[in-house]
Amino acid sequence: MIQIEKRLREEAKRLLETKEAAVVLAFGRGFDEEHPMPLILRKPSDAEKIVFNEYCTFNMARHLTEFPPGTKIAVAVKAADSRAVTVLIQEGKVKREDLIILGIPVAGMKDFRSGTAIDATTTGPAVNPVLYDILLADLLPEPKDVSPYDVLAEIEAMSPDDRWGFWSAEFSRCIRCYACRKACPLCYCETCFVDQAKPRWSEKSPSASSNMMFHLTRFYHLAGRCIDCGSCSRACPMDIPLYLFHKKVSKECEEMFDQAAGMCVDAKPVMVDFKVEDSDDILL
Amino acid sequence: MITKIGREKLQEFVAGLMKSGRLFAPVKEGKGTNFKLITDPQSVTLDFYNTIQSPKAVLFPQSEDLVNYNISHDGIASEPAPIDDGSRIILGVRPCDVQSFEIMDRLFNGSGIVDPYWSARRSNLTIIAYAFDRADPVDFYNAFGITGSDEQGSDILMVRDTNSFLFKAFTDKGTKLLETMPFLEKGTADDEKRMTEIVDKGRDIATRTLDTAEIHKRLAGIFDSPYWEEAAAACLNCGVCTYVCPTCHCFDIQDETLFGEGSRRKIWDSCMFSDFTLHASGHNPRTKKSQRLRQRINHKFSYYVENFGIISCVGCGRCTRSCPVNIDILTVVEEAR
Repeated sequence: MIQIEKRLREEAKRLLETKEAAVVLAFGRGFDEEHPMPLILRKPSDAEKIVFNEYCTFNMARHLTEFPPGTKIAVAVKAADSRAVTVLIQEGKVKREDLIILGIPVAGMKDFRSGTAIDATTTGPAVNPVLYDILLADLLPEPKDVSPYDVLAEIEAMSPDDRWGFWSAEFSRCIRCYACRKACPLCYCETCFVDQAKPRWSEKSPSASSNMMFHLTRFYHLAGRCIDCGSCSRACPMDIPLYLFHKKVSKECEEMFDQAAGMCVDAKPVMVDFKVEDSDDILL
Repeated sequence: MITKIGREKLQEFVAGLMKSGRLFAPVKEGKGTNFKLITDPQSVTLDFYNTIQSPKAVLFPQSEDLVNYNISHDGIASEPAPIDDGSRIILGVRPCDVQSFEIMDRLFNGSGIVDPYWSARRSNLTIIAYAFDRADPVDFYNAFGITGSDEQGSDILMVRDTNSFLFKAFTDKGTKLLETMPFLEKGTADDEKRMTEIVDKGRDIATRTLDTAEIHKRLAGIFDSPYWEEAAAACLNCGVCTYVCPTCHCFDIQDETLFGEGSRRKIWDSCMFSDFTLHASGHNPRTKKSQRLRQRINHKFSYYVENFGIISCVGCGRCTRSCPVNIDILTVVEEAR
């Protein structure tokens, strides 16, 4: 990881010096080693501030939509992050030609809050970025026989009533801080439906029904788009396992439309494509 | 006088407290703990560093009915919602969080506009503080003259010994409450000594600290500085920091109606949200995240000082611990020059 840090600093410095990029999105030091922060660089001399270690879990694609269109941005991405960049390009939120994608093949990331390893139970198992211009380390062997959906076995085995009970209990803890939404690289709506005042679609009080309404709407708005980075769940102060729901929707989408989100920048995303032979299982 | 109870008898103590009023105590939730209304003595845990959310919701719930109404073809019938002001006991409040009640009192009780909801509950509240026995690298309550085992503001101070919990009452309310617990043992001279030792140890816990002299003036002087853009660069504008904070107290008032039945409610709001300052005209004076972060810091360390003479932060470290991007409030304030 020290090598990656060195390469990231070099590339950031070079790209800003040559003005190939106006902004570099990378990782910097937080209040200690184990708590890094997203770092948004504009000056070559700031490249020294870049750090990279196993706690740099942020999906920097989240910050891509903060800049005016046309800004040349270099963005450091890990495996899942690169899929988020891909979706943002597919959806026209950023232009491929405005991006310099710094790919980071890496395994062994850890949650900075709990210190636990981040694995295929809470995110995708891939270790290599799917889209990049500059690779900051050698590609790693992809883990074999690991499915991002293995973790769903337990919840899929539940009866509908038990599953309803499970999610009702989980969502009852939600305090509506919207950290999940704000940490999500693909929740870029300028005004989220829960923030609309005229009409108000959802109660502001964290009642059982409004919490359910918020989360279900968000899950479905990410159907066929979620790239399983796990940012929402790691951001949640109440430890609600949002990744389980996202994984389930992604699994169904993949089974029905034979496409996982953000894997190929030239593909048409499932929600904007229509084929006569598409599965109609989705229709009740 | 010191009283004590063996750790194995904690449930008995909790059950006793439940008979004296509604009890709020730490309960395991997710990977952490939170203060909850206790219905089962077994659910209480005192093995925690500090709760994810502060205890403020005991007096200032996230959502509360002010007026209940019914809208029909015949018109609108409404009546004020009764104030839920029964006696409350909070068990296991860390000394820094106890101070947060005193800070909020200045606004809700002492500003000239009394909040009847806060005030009614506050006067019926018994606080059992719980001394820290270790430091966490994030906390900075020492900056505000608070130590790990202060009894100020609490009715009873509780400390954890190897196999028991020791209690000392500091108010009449606290003394009376302990008297209603016949199963509490009277402390021996050794227990007195132990209590003093543990409290002294708590006072010596060194947290991070901050030079707070003239801080409100310093912040006022850099209101227009580009520093705020830099400080907020990583901020996601979620509301975690404000919703875990013991002193963030901003609220919205909303009418929430279903099929004609509804309530006008007082609901927590967050200066981090884009609709917090949205005017009815559609104009929003605070559109940038740097403006929002600046507001939160200034409200705590500048405006509150000017209005109420005290910094509205107790250094509990919750906002730093819960921030998804590791923004550290202490660093933000320190570097604001």
